[in-house]
Amino acid sequence: MLTAKENMRQVILGGKPDRFVNQYEAVALLFHPFLLASPLLKKGDMNVVNAWGVTNSFPGNTPGAFPVHTPDKIVVKDIEHWRDYVHAPSLKFPDELWNVCKDMYAAVDGTKAFKATFVAPGLFEQSHHLCSMEEALMNYMEYPDEMHDLIKYLTDWELELAEGICSNLHPDTIFHHDDFGSERNSFLRPSVFEDFFLDAYKQIYGYYKSHGVEFIIHHSDSYCANIVPIMIEMGIDVWQGCMHSNNVPELIRQYGGKMTFMGEIDNKQVDFDGWTYADCEKAALNAINTCGSVADGKYFIPCISQGGPGSLYDGTYKGIWDAIDKYNCEKFGFKQEDIEANRLPITIMF
Amino acid sequence: MSLQNVNDLVTRGKAKLVPAAVQETLDEGVAATEILDTMIAAMDVVGEKFKNNEIFVPEMLISAKAMKKGVEVLKPHLASGEVGSMGKMIMGTVAGDLHDIGKNLVIMMIESAGFEVIDLGVDVPLEKFISTYEENPDTKIIGCSALLTTTMPALADTVAAINAAPWRSKVKVMVGGAPITQEFADKIGADCYTPDAASAAKAAKELVS
Repeated sequence: MLTAKENMRQVILGGKPDRFVNQYEAVALLFHPFLLASPLLKKGDMNVVNAWGVTNSFPGNTPGAFPVHTPDKIVVKDIEHWRDYVHAPSLKFPDELWNVCKDMYAAVDGTKAFKATFVAPGLFEQSHHLCSMEEALMNYMEYPDEMHDLIKYLTDWELELAEGICSNLHPDTIFHHDDFGSERNSFLRPSVFEDFFLDAYKQIYGYYKSHGVEFIIHHSDSYCANIVPIMIEMGIDVWQGCMHSNNVPELIRQYGGKMTFMGEIDNKQVDFDGWTYADCEKAALNAINTCGSVADGKYFIPCISQGGPGSLYDGTYKGIWDAIDKYNCEKFGFKQEDIEANRLPITIMF
Repeated sequence: MSLQNVNDLVTRGKAKLVPAAVQETLDEGVAATEILDTMIAAMDVVGEKFKNNEIFVPEMLISAKAMKKGVEVLKPHLASGEVGSMGKMIMGTVAGDLHDIGKNLVIMMIESAGFEVIDLGVDVPLEKFISTYEENPDTKIIGCSALLTTTMPALADTVAAINAAPWRSKVKVMVGGAPITQEFADKIGADCYTPDAASAAKAAKELVS
């Protein structure tokens, strides 16, 4: 029996997985010093200003923190003079902080799970965190030169971050957030998206790949079917968060072998007031039957769409987890204790 | 020709050029209401293209912004009430929900369709929806947004409170947001659900016509 990590590698590479990967079971999400140095919000924290000057809140009923954009809190007041407002925070950290992170990585059994550095927000997200969503989207159309300069500035900062991560923490995987769309479409026209982000991400993901990182997992819980070829060219191996609206079976047919699709179980299918284990089982089996069958279990990982293990309502993530385990035991003849012995204990991050 | 120019510039989202084009059209003697109708018609086309995934959110946003700039030039030439002549709409994101992007997109499109919008912002208690209507009894539509599954109960509570109000028959209730479906809207007793901002503007016009 393969470990969870070996099994996930087989899924991604198109080898011989011996069961379905169970959501995030093979991905240990780990921090880097900047996430510890810039205020990291806990549920309930409101209006906390981070190292970029962006105000964030994390209400108890949301899956994560998000920026607050009342007019007084928008960082970039004038895109034509964005350099007056945007000041990249330092990435020089004391050894003690690196050591705290190194201990986290050392504590993970690397035979059972990928040691994945969690990086967020991404370039597109950071642009709208700084400008507000509406202004950022309009700026891409009305002030393309300024936005190109801003993205270049953010890319250089991310490359410096990547250098620190690779030389100090040696992760084998990167779990990188950047939501590129809504449930219905990509935010940007594909040609515009490509113009602003392809080269930038090729540089960032290329750096990681040339410095010991085996796989790039990119989170975007959205529709992105129209930009998948660009995402592949960026160097993304696994797209986590691919929602049902993308027609995931068709994506696997078209792009299996170039990208693995991790998702299909939208939060709204299971993560609501009054959810039941039957809802979780139905969603998990539906994902396995419709997407998992396309390429004999390859290039697909059934997973809740949100960008980390957990759910808004307590127990939902575990409900899906139990349903996938049950399927793996019944279908492939494993015992639950064997599955447990070959992976890390379940982690609930959110 | 100038009217067509205004139409083209709004469609293409040329916010910097629209004011001059509107002024030029006014100077030619075209009635302000005709120019306003032209811009509303241009936004109808933009909305339809967005709904059909032919254009993307930024393109819709810059068109709405361009129209807003044009309306600023028109305003002194319009009689009171002609901007927002479709009627008044109250919009807000329900209690416990701080998300405003979807709501703001809807407001931009609803305003572009000729409505006057009272924006209550985010995290709006149901009492605020009720009191705002009672202060503005000429309101034709109340729009409520929820982006999270965790705030769907607050949306249901808000619509229930509106449904229990003695003036309910005089106003339409629209709902929307990522987790909301037609089935949920029907269950909680809303009059209308739309999946995106452009559809919301179209539906709002149909509701009041």
